[in-house]
Amino acid sequence: MKNFRDIEQLSSYLDGQLSPSESARLESRIASDPELASAFNDIRAARGILRKLPARKAPRNLTLTRQMVGLKPPLPRSYSFFRFSTAFATFLLVLTFAANALTQLPLMAGSGAPIGGYGMGGGPVVQAPAAAESLAATEAPAATEAPMAAAAPSLEMTAMPTEQFSADTAASELPTAKQMGTPPSESQDQLRVNAERGAVVPVAWQIVLLALGLVSGMVMLALRRSAKQKWK
Amino acid sequence: MDEIALVQSAQSGDLDSFNTLILHYQDRVFNTALRILGDEDIAQDAAQEAFISAFRSIATFRGGSFKAWLLRTVTNACYDELRRQKRRPTTPLEPETNDGEEMDSPRWLADPNMTPSEQFEADELEHAIQHCLDTLPVDFRTVVVLADVQGMDYSEVATAARVPLGTIKSRLARARLRLRECLRGFEELLPSSFRLEEERNS
Repeated sequence: MKNFRDIEQLSSYLDGQLSPSESARLESRIASDPELASAFNDIRAARGILRKLPARKAPRNLTLTRQMVGLKPPLPRSYSFFRFSTAFATFLLVLTFAANALTQLPLMAGSGAPIGGYGMGGGPVVQAPAAAESLAATEAPAATEAPMAAAAPSLEMTAMPTEQFSADTAASELPTAKQMGTPPSESQDQLRVNAERGAVVPVAWQIVLLALGLVSGMVMLALRRSAKQKWK
Repeated sequence: MDEIALVQSAQSGDLDSFNTLILHYQDRVFNTALRILGDEDIAQDAAQEAFISAFRSIATFRGGSFKAWLLRTVTNACYDELRRQKRRPTTPLEPETNDGEEMDSPRWLADPNMTPSEQFEADELEHAIQHCLDTLPVDFRTVVVLADVQGMDYSEVATAARVPLGTIKSRLARARLRLRECLRGFEELLPSSFRLEEERNS
């Protein structure tokens, strides 16, 4: 057996991979060396047998189907527009709900106090005019009775406004009492007004967004379905 | 067939163009898988897998020999299959004697349904060659199948087998030598031209 370098050269020579000078040198060696010639014939025989091996035909067509390669039907360009509008409308809708909820939270907290502890939070707001009225009432007699101040005893002067103050205070407390008598309906009205004032996005807009999202989504599904049917 | 146009079309996702290429190459691809794997059914599956894989990765084809690129996916599919077989060994095809030893004679390869003697001999020779191919290490087998069975040149074999040109030369020489040794055992099946040459040299 020749060394492997010779075998490799013989194999390359058979495939025409040697340079002309290398080929010429090898040919002369094959002619003079019977062992090399024998190895050459062995390799040539093996190569020849393999090259005569019959080519077998594929038993069936190996063509691919769309399902085999996981191809999806080509969608029209408008599909991406409707997909975007669906996503955008949904996003905006969620955003409006979140915005409305966030803006109503402080209002709920502010107007929630009279409901929980009635007269504490709402008291000062309603009693403020009463206090002003009583203050005006106390000042007015004092001003008109000023010339009499010298003659009249100081006690009377002070007693009059005090009584009037108490009477006015009692009168001024009436609206407060009235309010205390009918608190729930007024408070709920107030809440509703506050809620309407506090809502950043009106309900109508939310309905429009919802409708837009639904319509876009339905068109999107219809486009996909028709593309699939056309593909079949 | 405008191969370049079909490849470009397939690269843009046109399955029909790729199927045209498949129809052109399917016999070659199946034959390569058959000679590397040695089993028709498994070769068919490997060829199918190779085509699926080729379509999915056709965007990576950057010119050159499409045949070599395609046969690379086939050799990869065959390597995957051989690795799978190694993990889950199956019963060998060779029948056993009563002592539990494998029969060495090529006679077991004969198909009893074949009546014409020439067909019979051709089949036996084919089986014998396949048997010898199966005895080669898979790297050697791949190179010799691509170069001698498929008739590819060295650069195409290097692309398909993903090994340097020098390695191709070396593996091919070793594979041919080993095949010749193996085929000596089936001398009576070899075509007369090969036998005469042998006798002339001896």
